[in-house]
Amino acid sequence: MSPAERALRLVAAPHLHAGAAVPRLMLHSVIALLPVTLFAVALFGLAALATIVVAILACLLAERVFAPPSSVSDGSAMLTGLLLGLSLPPALPLWMVAVGGFVAIGVGKHLFGGLGAPVFHPVLVGRVFLQAAFPAAMAQAWLTPLAGARNTELPATSLALPLMAPTAPYDGLSGATPLTALKSGDTGAPLAELWLGTVAGSVGETSALLLLLGGLYLVAMRVIDWRIPAAVLGSVALFSAVLHGLDGERNPAVLTALGSGGLMLGAWFLATDPSVSPMTRRGAWVYGLAIGVLVVVIRQFSGQAEGVMYALLLGSALTPHIDRWTRPRPLPEGVER
Amino acid sequence: MFGLRPAFPGGIRLPVLERRDDAAVVRQLPFAPRLFLPLRQHPGAAAVAVVRAGEEVLRGQLLARADDETAVPLHAPATGRIVGISEQPDRGLTTVSVIELAPLPGDTQEDPGRPVRDPTAAGPEALLAAIGDSGLVGLGGEAGPTALRLARARARGVRVLVVNGIEGEPGFTRIPALLARHGDDVLTGLRCLLRVLEADQAVLAVEEADGAAAGALLARARQDTRPALQILPPRYPQGAAELLLRRLARSGSDGGRALAADPAVVFSLATVAEVGRLLSGGLTLTDQLITLAGDGLGDPGNYRVPLGTPVRFALEQAGVLADLDRVLAGGPMRGQALADLDRPIVKGATGFVAVAADGSARVPEPMACIRCGECVAACPLNLHPAELGLLARREEVQAMVEDYQLERCFECGCCAYVCPSHIPLVQIFRAAKDQWRRAQAAAVAQERT
Repeated sequence: MSPAERALRLVAAPHLHAGAAVPRLMLHSVIALLPVTLFAVALFGLAALATIVVAILACLLAERVFAPPSSVSDGSAMLTGLLLGLSLPPALPLWMVAVGGFVAIGVGKHLFGGLGAPVFHPVLVGRVFLQAAFPAAMAQAWLTPLAGARNTELPATSLALPLMAPTAPYDGLSGATPLTALKSGDTGAPLAELWLGTVAGSVGETSALLLLLGGLYLVAMRVIDWRIPAAVLGSVALFSAVLHGLDGERNPAVLTALGSGGLMLGAWFLATDPSVSPMTRRGAWVYGLAIGVLVVVIRQFSGQAEGVMYALLLGSALTPHIDRWTRPRPLPEGVER
Repeated sequence: MFGLRPAFPGGIRLPVLERRDDAAVVRQLPFAPRLFLPLRQHPGAAAVAVVRAGEEVLRGQLLARADDETAVPLHAPATGRIVGISEQPDRGLTTVSVIELAPLPGDTQEDPGRPVRDPTAAGPEALLAAIGDSGLVGLGGEAGPTALRLARARARGVRVLVVNGIEGEPGFTRIPALLARHGDDVLTGLRCLLRVLEADQAVLAVEEADGAAAGALLARARQDTRPALQILPPRYPQGAAELLLRRLARSGSDGGRALAADPAVVFSLATVAEVGRLLSGGLTLTDQLITLAGDGLGDPGNYRVPLGTPVRFALEQAGVLADLDRVLAGGPMRGQALADLDRPIVKGATGFVAVAADGSARVPEPMACIRCGECVAACPLNLHPAELGLLARREEVQAMVEDYQLERCFECGCCAYVCPSHIPLVQIFRAAKDQWRRAQAAAVAQERT
């Protein structure tokens, strides 16, 4: 039989594809975050689960409101919600979580032009908004990890009503995270607990080990550029080692610095977002180094206990400049022709 | 060992396809009932017809002469009768004259040509003229007049001849066929070209899959004209002449050192073999060695096809399925999808791919650029596909050309191959180049008035 009784399709070359696709990249990221998500629920119980679920639902709803319906299915809003939930204090009132999710997607993503366009990571935009709007709650809503029976109920703060002072006293709250303890001059958590993550902290930021494994999974799946976490963690390690050597009293040791706060989540999952990081391989090194240095500077020399969020935001602000400085130079014209 | 350091940035590693057992086999395609021969089959001037409708012609006889150095003469692929000469639409908005030839039955075909004992006995000028008269064009995909390129290379004082034995497209198998079935032609062609160029050094570059066959062939070459063999690990698109020269020049081998120092010219293995075949057989270019590939064919492989054979006829001979998704002129990376299977196979064609309509070939909808930079890392010329794509969306064609060297892009497709958002970058760049050229032409016209 002869072909072309039906119309042949006119598709532009190339007719092969490496197989990478945005929704699949998002899916891999969610998979990489599953262990730490489950661990967070085990650690902080219902409060963590509620925070994550509300953050995801708020982001999906915002995506539905601000973007064409098809974009909900690309998985990016879901990932934003999950990351936001993991980065918040577990006992934060859930209505604040929802506001954070709405701001992340509505302002952080779609005000800048949607997928691929954000200058700052939408998760950080949501988080920094919460930090600015509700500083007290963001600084106090920590829970004691592995609180046994208390894990199966929501803390009263989670259910606080919008714009009202919490009626119940902060119940079961933890006094301090390892970083705030360090800041006030106490010794932090033992190193093993810090890396395993059985300490107070944001929902999904406590277990450096599980985040590291998730990050390595993303590198293996070629979802993220390994240079970025390598540069961030490398420069934090180097800078911390120098400071610890100079003054071991005030500055934490390298493994403590690497294992605490939002560093692992930030280095592997937030800094690597393609739209806020440089496009060139050389630029990735510059960007990562800058973030790492900023993390240590903010942690050690400012009034803030944690510096990852601001370091990431400042790093992203540098991205357009880094892209310009490291713009690829076309090969010189060939000898032939 | 470290192997060769890529001398160009980026590029991509394509999945390695298992070679079919019959990769080196070449089958002869019969004559189609009608052959269609455009008077311009390559970038350059059209040839001028010297035959009229109704005339009987012999296989190999001159049908149209070249009056311009950018034109190539055209010869009859078959003994037969000229049915007519008509104007047909060409690429773009122009038309081209097409000779329609009705071949006589196969058993009455003349055996063309008069074998020549040693073509290299002739002097460089005579050889160059013979190559021009044979109607040969580059068979590696570029299809420029071979004699013209040779004359320019001579004028440039080229010292090194690089024979490009890199298979340009995944799934194509012309290189193993040429090495195995046309070994003598390759060696003869090589000596002819060295003589025309009055060059003394040659390099044959192949990828690993063809290394053994190339080595066996060169063992038979005469000592004085034996090319240095360079076996490269596969990397797309190192078969592009510009990139191949860079890569060889940095290889550190004997041939590489010569390349770094001396001016070189690249001819495809197919062109070199055809020079040898035509000159030693006293032939003219009347057929074409192509690969017919794709899951839409029952009988894929290498075929020798008479020029002017309609694509449809060739595909039918290769057992084409009834239900096709698309047909590509060229390979999967750079091939253009055809709307019309009645167009003829012309000089310089490398092959066709028939893709079956099985639903798996769905093209995903393009999404927004997520600025991941994969395309930047993949571009072998170190251009900036992502920025070019974003500029194209804002229709800033001038910035694309002047700030980001759009015109250097040779549409290898690496950027679109890796793009996770499935943005059709090659298509976007091609449209922008067209727009730029039209604007330039309009500006020139404006100035004249």
